Amino acid sequence: MSASPSTTARPAAKGAGAPTAGGGRGSAKRRTPISRRGERLVGYTFMTPWIIGSLVFTVGPMLWSLYLSFTDYHLILGGDFIGLDNYRAMFDDPMFGRAVKVTLLYVLLAVPLKLIASLAVAMLLTQSRRGIGFYRAAFYMPSLIAMSVGIAIVWKALFAAGGPQDQFMSWFGWEGGGFIGNPSVSILMLVLLSVWTFGAPMVIFMAGLLQVPAELHEAAEVDGAGKWHRFVHITIPMLSPVIFFNVLMETVHAFQLFGPAFIIGGTAGGPAWSTLFYTVRIYALAFVDLRMGYASAWAWMLVLAVGVVTLIMFRAAKNLVYYAGEDNK
Amino acid sequence: MMRNPHGLRRRSILTGASAAAVLAAAAACGEDGPAGTADDPIEINFEWWGDETRAELTQQAVDLFQEKNAGIKVQTNFADFPTYWEGMTGRMASRDLPDVFQMDYSRLRQFGTSGLLLPLEGVVKTDDFRAGFLDTATLDGQLLAVPVAGNTLGLIYRADWFEGNGIAAPAPGYSWDQYAADISTLTPALGEGKWGGGDWAGVYHFMELWLRQQGGSFYTEDGKALNFEAAQLAEWWTSTAELYAAGMVPPVETTIEWVEGGLVQDKLGSEIGWDNFMPGYAPTVEANGGALALAAPPSLDPANLGLYLKPSMQFVISGATEQAEASAKLIDFLLGDAEAIKILGTSRGVPATNAGLAGVEIDPATQAVLDYEESVAQYLTTPPPAPPAATGAIEVKFGEIYQQVQYGEMTAPEAAELFFTEAETLLAAEQ
Repeated sequence: MSASPSTTARPAAKGAGAPTAGGGRGSAKRRTPISRRGERLVGYTFMTPWIIGSLVFTVGPMLWSLYLSFTDYHLILGGDFIGLDNYRAMFDDPMFGRAVKVTLLYVLLAVPLKLIASLAVAMLLTQSRRGIGFYRAAFYMPSLIAMSVGIAIVWKALFAAGGPQDQFMSWFGWEGGGFIGNPSVSILMLVLLSVWTFGAPMVIFMAGLLQVPAELHEAAEVDGAGKWHRFVHITIPMLSPVIFFNVLMETVHAFQLFGPAFIIGGTAGGPAWSTLFYTVRIYALAFVDLRMGYASAWAWMLVLAVGVVTLIMFRAAKNLVYYAGEDNK
Repeated sequence: MMRNPHGLRRRSILTGASAAAVLAAAAACGEDGPAGTADDPIEINFEWWGDETRAELTQQAVDLFQEKNAGIKVQTNFADFPTYWEGMTGRMASRDLPDVFQMDYSRLRQFGTSGLLLPLEGVVKTDDFRAGFLDTATLDGQLLAVPVAGNTLGLIYRADWFEGNGIAAPAPGYSWDQYAADISTLTPALGEGKWGGGDWAGVYHFMELWLRQQGGSFYTEDGKALNFEAAQLAEWWTSTAELYAAGMVPPVETTIEWVEGGLVQDKLGSEIGWDNFMPGYAPTVEANGGALALAAPPSLDPANLGLYLKPSMQFVISGATEQAEASAKLIDFLLGDAEAIKILGTSRGVPATNAGLAGVEIDPATQAVLDYEESVAQYLTTPPPAPPAATGAIEVKFGEIYQQVQYGEMTAPEAAELFFTEAETLLAAEQ
């Protein structure tokens, strides 16, 4: 039994993963206080470029945009403080509802599909086979290039009228043409692009899958549980912290999708505003309409919304996520 | 827990600050002084919008300029029209504009009112421009741009297709209804995948033309408000509805994917457009076995075509330039040097200077543009004042909202209502 491929793969992975992480944390705690100060100084010194970078390029602009969100700042003409007017105006803005709708639709479609795809592939890739390293790299590859401009352009070409998607689907009786010109399906281009780039959650799922104790599976198998039962009653619960992490990360990312949407749909979110993502609208408000103050208010509304969604997820996770270490509480 | 966090933080900030100081000093050493000799040349940037052909010609002219002015090095860059303006808008905000760049009349106010452009009176040569051209280069009495070339709207059409199907050549006074009827004749005759004309209702400039034909204008005189009613816009946006529904003009699903115009793709029989585009299309159309001709655009009133001579593009100098003299030299060279005029030809339209007009080699297509402009000279009226700064955004919005009508997501009156809300917000944002 112990010579079977599944059990030999597991301890090796465990030896490489878990103990190192634990050891690192442990040794830091054991350091003497005397060397700590100097070490910290060195640490901060090495971090200086990043600290300065994040202050200058992230924290500073964020605070500035928070201030701008309370002004009617025009990109060229400047502006004055107007209190909460921008936030009020948003609710009368016909484009606000549209942008929210498109973005939510995308989140609801892209996140589950991407996670299902990445989990499925992760399960295939945790089997031990010859050349598995190659397959893992190959499946991860799209994620490395997906957010590039080049891929977005190629992606768009795939969905042109008479392009590969149009031809393929017309074999099955599709008459809607290319997705680019069809507002009722155009968002699927971006959903599919997102699904195709499942590399990051896949790697995390793989790490999680390799941590699921084989004993549980073996015991269940002896009791006569089939593959599906073992998946639902062992893999999923044991994997739930990882699933939660991936859901959280992917949701937050999905809300912020910009690059591919901008390239495929343009600032107008074409065709007919069907790809008018929230972030694309922010860009258009700021750099086409030049209403930087109002655009900033939109941006902060997104921050708030993502914050609320995250909070809800953490609440929900309390009941849904199983942490193995908390058994004895 | 942390014993002296502040001390640490201060020190690390000091380290950072000194590092920054060193970097800044290093950067300062690399800066060019205003010398301008062959060994240590002045560098200026020059950017424009346009296609590859224009870029090649412009680069040749710029190379010649550098040859003749050894102390000046010109960095060039170009992009297509929408990309160019998206980039410029961002750079305008960060006050990072090129020394010399190509300007569009509809954006002149946006850039000009905030001190971003150098007043050009006495800086560049202004004595050789053709009559009327400099009027559209001034903003509130100040010369901020120089015209490169002029253009006006016209109907560019396939003479061979029109004639071959028994359609009379359009002449001044040609009505919108007649144009629609001709398209309806042509489209079925041309067969699958070709159309007699395009849907013109989505273009801001054509709406302006239509308003001018009724004695109106797009904006009020002070440029602070729209000068028409939502009902008029709804009427304009319905004017092609029948053609569109009948498939006489190409559907939006098709045109949204077009990366070049319908005329050069051999798919459109006519298009309202800027007359100076015609010489650009002509060689491709001829290669396809067709022939282009130019006529006055359709009108409501044969006595008022609504036309005016517009600068097709202008050159401006950034107000923040440190090399005003060299920048002006480049502009004077491109517009006035005999060799440069020959190289550039009519890639930017019919030259705006007398020297340019005299020196440029004129091919038959360009001659057709000159003939056309002469034929409508009696109809040309005073140009509207430089449009408000929000024009660029309003122009984008105009097409974007009309797309909703084409897709059937909105009715024309709903879309017109939305356009008014959006345009009024944009106009209010700059007051």
